[in-house]
Amino acid sequence: MRAASVVLPVLLAAGAPLAAETVAIVGARVVTVSGPVLPRATVVMADGRIAAVGADAAVPAGARRIEADGKTLYPGLIDGLTTLGLTEIGSVPGSVDTTETGDVNPQVRAWAAVHAHSELIPVARANGVTAALAAPQGGLVSGQSALIRMTGDTQASLTLKAPAAMHVVYPTGRPAFEVSQLFQEPELKTFEERQKDKKRNQEKALRRLGTLLDEARAYGRGAGAPAADGAGPAPDLPLAALGPVASGALPLVVRADAEEDIRAAVRFAAERGLKLVVAGGLEAWRAADLLKQNDVAVLVNVDRLPRRESDAYDAAYTNAAALHRAGVRFAIVSDDASQSRNLPYEAAMARAFGLPAEAALRAITLSPAEIFGVADRLGSIDAGKSATLVLATGDIMDHRTQVTDVWIDGVPQSLETRHTRLFESFRARP
Amino acid sequence: MSGLALLAAARVLALTGATVLTGGPAGTIEKGTVLVTDGVITAVGPAVAVPAGATVVDLAGRFVMPGIIDAHSHTAVEGNVNECTDAVTAEVRIADVLDHRDVNIYRQLAGGVTTANVLHGSCNAIGGQNAVVKYRWGQGPEGLVFKEAPRGVKFALGENPKRANVRAPGTARWPATRMGVEALIRDTFLRARHYRDEWAAYERRRKAGAAGLVPPRRDLRLELVRDVLDGTVLVHAHCYRSDEILMLISLAEELGFKIRTFQHVLEGYKVATEIARHGAGASTFSDWWAYKMEAWDAVPHNAAVMASHGVRVSLNSDSNELARRLYWEAAKAVKYGGASEEEALKMITLNPAWQLGVDRWVGSIEAGKHADLAVFNTHPFAPDARVEMTLVEGQVMFDRAKDVQARSAR
Repeated sequence: MRAASVVLPVLLAAGAPLAAETVAIVGARVVTVSGPVLPRATVVMADGRIAAVGADAAVPAGARRIEADGKTLYPGLIDGLTTLGLTEIGSVPGSVDTTETGDVNPQVRAWAAVHAHSELIPVARANGVTAALAAPQGGLVSGQSALIRMTGDTQASLTLKAPAAMHVVYPTGRPAFEVSQLFQEPELKTFEERQKDKKRNQEKALRRLGTLLDEARAYGRGAGAPAADGAGPAPDLPLAALGPVASGALPLVVRADAEEDIRAAVRFAAERGLKLVVAGGLEAWRAADLLKQNDVAVLVNVDRLPRRESDAYDAAYTNAAALHRAGVRFAIVSDDASQSRNLPYEAAMARAFGLPAEAALRAITLSPAEIFGVADRLGSIDAGKSATLVLATGDIMDHRTQVTDVWIDGVPQSLETRHTRLFESFRARP
Repeated sequence: MSGLALLAAARVLALTGATVLTGGPAGTIEKGTVLVTDGVITAVGPAVAVPAGATVVDLAGRFVMPGIIDAHSHTAVEGNVNECTDAVTAEVRIADVLDHRDVNIYRQLAGGVTTANVLHGSCNAIGGQNAVVKYRWGQGPEGLVFKEAPRGVKFALGENPKRANVRAPGTARWPATRMGVEALIRDTFLRARHYRDEWAAYERRRKAGAAGLVPPRRDLRLELVRDVLDGTVLVHAHCYRSDEILMLISLAEELGFKIRTFQHVLEGYKVATEIARHGAGASTFSDWWAYKMEAWDAVPHNAAVMASHGVRVSLNSDSNELARRLYWEAAKAVKYGGASEEEALKMITLNPAWQLGVDRWVGSIEAGKHADLAVFNTHPFAPDARVEMTLVEGQVMFDRAKDVQARSAR
């Protein structure tokens, strides 16, 4: 098994009906993200890549010219944490592949199962989301995520990078919620007893995780050494999958909200030389100093309630701004599938509560590209990068703005969705 | 924003200089003045004379809109919102379990919400009674009650009352199909009608002086359903699919009751004409979908399509989190389906006020209505929008400047 990161050649794998074309978008306000906003510029794309950007960029002969006066051009939005492609209808188990049975599933790989024909993908795309992290959920070790693009007719043609990360749910020590609990008598325990149980469960889970990583390291050493009988070590998919995490090559995304859990996760990762990314991070602002010191990135979901009753009402809204001020790397994420289209509005809420507009946009474009190691291809409007672009009638963080065009790797995308089809069928019904 | 400390005690309050989105016939007023006397709006316009002695709050550059009304909420309910043990529980009352200390009240004031329709859950075909509340934060349990509001009751159709997604252990509860839900509602209304007739006959005989009369046994459940038949209790019916919406309309018209609102009503866009013809309002999510089978045909254009067919539409939260940003939920009706900004604003103000039967008192900035107001730093639909101040009946219930100041003092 090849443990190292596999970067698939996107253009070769593309199965989209339309081909990459040579296009010049002329006259738009161009938000490059990597550099200054160009108030009126031309962006040329050819062979799936951005060929030129600038106020004076020449329109090549034969290029399709798109007049975009009054519009704004953005790099495609990247949703750094979703279950897109792994879920269709939440309450229908047959359509949900987000969560494997059991606690330790490092061997499960999102890109083996992302559903290229999911109705949710065009919906996200129609509002400017062009790439997303498709991540498994649940248990202690949930599995491996893939960065996918919002087009393609096979899982291979969707996949931009796999694995993108290994996903872990930081053990809180509380038993996972099950519906059956609603119908059971609660266990009568004192606060101290419950705290003790929680701590014991948590320590047990952490020891288990630490042991798994130690074993993965040992397994990696063994896999490289020829065995005496010539057969090599017995295959162990979970340990093989954890190898790149243990060596610090593959990001370890740990879901944690509480300050103490975030701090403990940072220590856990630092002691073992892991490349940590915190997901959720509701109280990341309380640990901003430690996150900064250890260069840990955070995947923040903005539209949430504060964790504690005593918190400021806007604690979740100001979280991103606090991380920005502290110099912590972060991306704003939907942490959802059907709501991924609202990614720009999550960024808007962070912006309304103190995150500068440029930083808010960066958090849904270039920052997630950097966190998942694809910033050489995605996340900003620069010559040489993928021509993955979004043209909009105005500020993409404004709910009233319409996305009018989307290109992924230079290929114009349909903005039709299950929703637009149903809308068109019924809008004029008498 | 100086002088805010005085507001709580001020008899006459003049909010000046803001762009006023009245949500009423006056439309938008640039540099308008809202005059408030004893908690009631007494004047609004571009050239309102400010009486001597009034407390003036300069809101130049800000936007004032009516306090937001959430037509589907479970905020401030202590414990479970669902009495699930029976498929009809019209006798239970949300008003009995309101927790006036729920911090979510304050958090939602910080999102401009001033009134909410606190509903029973959707476990039952005919569920419990609602409580329409005013967010009078810090004024005790009685302070929460919107006294002028008519009574209401929750109905529920589809997956939830048939327990498709949450299965309790033990013997299955009846009904388990949409057929059963229809039959149960029909049966309950027929029994309520009979109950009404029994009491009427008893009263007739009693007034005629009949001796030895025994009154019928009082039935709190049927009493409530009887009041629905009499039109004094508003029906708020949770639903998703177009077939169940049509089923309830036809049942209501046959049995002689009105549906005040369809709640969620994600397929309302498929039967908007029928909803409008019945005269029901529709209270929906802006863009939730795909979370369960009956939410599979949901479209974000739902609100705009229903509105264009003449349905009074509101956008609700059903969530302590979403309730804090309903102003942006309304903006989505502009994006999807092309509602005008004015129409979209009504979906979180005047339309839900009508749906709860309180539009005489709230829902727009008009003389004679309660001074329930949300003050924004910019247009509420704009991407930098943030609530700066929220007033309920002229009293400042949320003031961002003070809130931020209190944090740094901590």
